[in-house]
Amino acid sequence: MQCGWPMLGPLQWIRYVNKQVTVKAGKDEVHRGWLLTVDPVSASLVLVDFKENGGASVHVVMGHAVEEVQILQEADEETADRLRTSFLPPRTCGLDPEELRRRRGSVQRWLEKNRVPVEEEGDELRVAGVLTIRAPYGPEDCSSSNQIILDRIQKLIQNLIPTDP
Amino acid sequence: MATPVSVLRLPKGPDPSSRGFDPSSPRFIALCRTSIPTAAAPEADAEQLQTEQHARSVLRETFLRCLLSMSNKKVRFHMHGKVKLEATFGASDIDILNFQVSDLHTPIGVQKEALIRSQDVIWFTFDK
Repeated sequence: MQCGWPMLGPLQWIRYVNKQVTVKAGKDEVHRGWLLTVDPVSASLVLVDFKENGGASVHVVMGHAVEEVQILQEADEETADRLRTSFLPPRTCGLDPEELRRRRGSVQRWLEKNRVPVEEEGDELRVAGVLTIRAPYGPEDCSSSNQIILDRIQKLIQNLIPTDP
Repeated sequence: MATPVSVLRLPKGPDPSSRGFDPSSPRFIALCRTSIPTAAAPEADAEQLQTEQHARSVLRETFLRCLLSMSNKKVRFHMHGKVKLEATFGASDIDILNFQVSDLHTPIGVQKEALIRSQDVIWFTFDK
């Protein structure tokens, strides 16, 4: 890959993801690591280097400084898995179904009490058709493309006062 | 006689009501040539556009999670001209033009709060 890295586009960048690469940047600086992602806005590369003690050092190379990117090898399953989970938020899905049902009910009642239209859809809650709350129904589990609604519902859930059924 | 000093004008920030991605904004054109214009090309067929958008969102989400995990961590910046700086990472703006950092260790002292232009940075590193 020669220069022009920032102009490649997401479909090209994603081919480099989960591969071990060397990146030439700036003046004769070479970085080597597993490519976690490429920011589609700034074309910056995130390289991860796993250490023996279980930690990892992360290098971010700015897209504008990239001179050349070369693939060294593909990740085996274990490395790909490690990469995939390295920045995921810790999930609390260890909760038993009964506890989840209780939380879901409590969030639903709280939203209804605050005059927010909410319906149950399987194990998700749907607010006004534009926002979804997944298990375990905390402020971080809301997703919506409407920032204003998202912010309001997250604040509501943050201030949740448990009500009895 | 005192010589007049030229006024240094900083680039305009993004329009407060927009989300900062307006490809026609002067700031965007000056600083942030990205792949967005290619995706917006009208001749691109819908299916390809969709796969491209999916790839874009996957890449971006991972990147944002990486930025999130970086906040309040010690980060070492390597700048142009072989300058190395250490600081505590705070945040970045959405178009990755500036990084907000605290306790920036510069060669002439420690700056409590600072903004670093991403154009001056070659790479930076932190331990997870």
